[in-house]
Amino acid sequence: MRVLAVCLLAFAMLAAGAVAGAAPAPARGGTLIIAEGSDATTLDGHRYTDSPTAERMEHICETLFWLSPEGRVEPRLATAFTFSPDGRRLTIRLRPTVRFHDGTPFNAQAAKWNLDRVLDPATRASFRSLIDRVTQVVALDANTLVLLTNAPFAPLVLNLTHGGVCMQSPTAIERLGPDEYARNPVGTGPYRFREWVRGDRITVTRFEEYWGEKGHFDAIQWRVIPDDGARVAAVESGAVHIAKRVPPRDVERLRANRALRVEVQTSLRTIFIGFNVTRPPFNNRRVRQALNYAINKEAIVRAILGGTARVSDAPIAPGVAGYARIMTYEYNVERARQLLAEAGYPNGFRATLHHPVARYIRDAEIAAAIQGLLRRVGVEVELVPMDIGSLVAFTNKPQAEATHQMYMLGWGTVTGDADYGLYNLFHSSQWPPAGFNRGFYRNPQVDALLDRGRTTLDQAERNRIYREAMALIMEDAPWIFLHSESQVTAYRAEVQNVYMHPAERLVAMQGFFRR
Amino acid sequence: MWRYIVKRLLLTVPVLFGVAFVVFVMVRIVPGDPAQIMAGQQATRELVEGIRRDLGLDRPLLVQFADFMAGLLRGDLGRSVRSRAPVTEELAHRIPNTLRLAAAGMLVATTVGVTAGVVSAVRPYSLVDTAVMVVALAGLSMPIYWSGLMLILVFAVWLNWLPAVGSDSLAHLVLPAAALGFTSAAIIARMTRSAMLEVLRADYIRTARAKGLAERVVINRHALCNALIPVITVVGLQTGTLLSGAVLTESVFAWSGIGRLMVDATLNRDYPVVQGAVLLVALSFVLVNLVVDLLYALVDPRIRYE
Repeated sequence: MRVLAVCLLAFAMLAAGAVAGAAPAPARGGTLIIAEGSDATTLDGHRYTDSPTAERMEHICETLFWLSPEGRVEPRLATAFTFSPDGRRLTIRLRPTVRFHDGTPFNAQAAKWNLDRVLDPATRASFRSLIDRVTQVVALDANTLVLLTNAPFAPLVLNLTHGGVCMQSPTAIERLGPDEYARNPVGTGPYRFREWVRGDRITVTRFEEYWGEKGHFDAIQWRVIPDDGARVAAVESGAVHIAKRVPPRDVERLRANRALRVEVQTSLRTIFIGFNVTRPPFNNRRVRQALNYAINKEAIVRAILGGTARVSDAPIAPGVAGYARIMTYEYNVERARQLLAEAGYPNGFRATLHHPVARYIRDAEIAAAIQGLLRRVGVEVELVPMDIGSLVAFTNKPQAEATHQMYMLGWGTVTGDADYGLYNLFHSSQWPPAGFNRGFYRNPQVDALLDRGRTTLDQAERNRIYREAMALIMEDAPWIFLHSESQVTAYRAEVQNVYMHPAERLVAMQGFFRR
Repeated sequence: MWRYIVKRLLLTVPVLFGVAFVVFVMVRIVPGDPAQIMAGQQATRELVEGIRRDLGLDRPLLVQFADFMAGLLRGDLGRSVRSRAPVTEELAHRIPNTLRLAAAGMLVATTVGVTAGVVSAVRPYSLVDTAVMVVALAGLSMPIYWSGLMLILVFAVWLNWLPAVGSDSLAHLVLPAAALGFTSAAIIARMTRSAMLEVLRADYIRTARAKGLAERVVINRHALCNALIPVITVVGLQTGTLLSGAVLTESVFAWSGIGRLMVDATLNRDYPVVQGAVLLVALSFVLVNLVVDLLYALVDPRIRYE
């Protein structure tokens, strides 16, 4: 019941009016302009998958609970929750007198309508799997919602903080139809949707009837500026107030500019090289460990990412509930050679590495560095660059058909819960095409631990379970564990109280301009 | 003349159908699955297959092609896989921007290019000629993402004279038009110079000078008009290129036009949008070529279309 205790503490803090980081008194007015590399994809909160869209939607639509940057579950449209003793019934109290931007009341009926919509396979909700253990949603009264599951499912509350199960106006969706609604979203958030000029900008304006602390900006606008250099120039010239995804090479120069503030925020996204562990040479644990020793992770972070990333010491990143520091394979060429010789590869071998281009920060350069480092231990790697869409499809084949040997991917643990970052990637039920365990890793002990982690409600016990599972995973080395990315963001100095969430979304809800 | 124009326009129909067939096949040959991309990296198999069914991608290719062609005949290009907006609407959003940028870029290119080419040709192998040709060579060699960023750095960041990015006002047009026009200007200048040098050696130019005509009249009326035919060809080709969306320029200056739409759609395997955009580009090339052919007759009355 640790989660509940934490929650209550958070409520108490909020009730006492404690606001993180006492900022200067907020001034009202102005339009905040944020520059981003890519546009949103769809504005239906139940159907997007990318963080640029999540960021825009978060200002328009709200979730029942909110994941704080520190990883705490906090109230939002819900004010409290309790699990039944058997863990199969989650009762949620909703905030009364909230309305959607179109005037529709938000209540248990509306919440049930939204969760049922996500659960309905015909909706094609991107994140249905977050709540697919819910067998029934019941609106008990106007402000009480009950979620029934057939087994205890510990991550459920954390999963409800995810934007993919946000609350949208049933009236608007029914009136406009899904295609039209996807361009005209209606939520309960502090900002309401105004316009989307596709490929160019999205604008939201302050919602004056917002139930909580109202927004301070008159409007927030996201501008699409795909070119990194142009995006940085735009914030330097003052054409925009915030530039996201600043290239690591520009950090030092921008820090010297007094009109700007540069912040580096670690994210929940882990970058790794997966092995297909069912085929030689990677079906041998010694080989996989050897390649981990052969990679100088610190040098990659320092030289390629300008120090703006964190070398992995677990399969998930800090900030995820259940994370614990396990270990890092040190850079040790001798140890790598020795392990390869013991495994029967004294002269190394040849392999292919499929990697994405322009999906993760400097992914192609990192792949090239890995190729060079592995050559030192006799492993000749052929690089196969692919766009992310092709790579995801290519590595998504059943084991019998899979031809990939090594693949570079990233995984954002967006719910902030270890279950999402471990179960999907390491549980043997998640082999493609069913799931994301693309290296076909299978360890019955790990499976059992991950199953227990899902059904144990006590967070302290879950932490112990996940620590044990991660230790086994690190030792088995189904990946080369590389780093967790950081988001580098440049702000004009007058921008206050806007920050980057570890889930890779900029939060400007309570932001304002310093006058 | 009119019969010729109608005939040419009718000929565009089979061309566009050919293009439609090729692009339909091409986008599907390329690896990558729109349903998988839409469902996201972390999607379940059921979700991906459900989306594939919704998009009609589970049907045989021939059925999909027949469907696409039937839509084309009705002027319906389908809906974007990503935004669910009609493709015609997606294109309509971007066409004005692309046209504005192409027109401004071409204005810069033609004015600068023809002037520089004529100046070079009138004083061949002089210091002026060498300087113009060096600048033209630089214009040809500089990648636009570099020259574009330099323009932003100087005029937006250092001098703060012009907006860095965006497509809201006339001021926003200056830098991208300059960046875009400079490359085309270099090509036009080199073409103008060589065409002018050839014409200036012709007998009728010697005759014009012997008649005692002013040099300005000789150059402008007698030489330039005759040198323009190859220049118009190059200008036409460059215009076609610009209309197909100057992808790099649009990316650097965050200019929301056809080029970027096509790149984004290709990366996301948004088949309907790629098909629609390629058809539009093919159509613009066909029309520009027609206009170029008609301009020949204007500058050289000996050319007749029957």
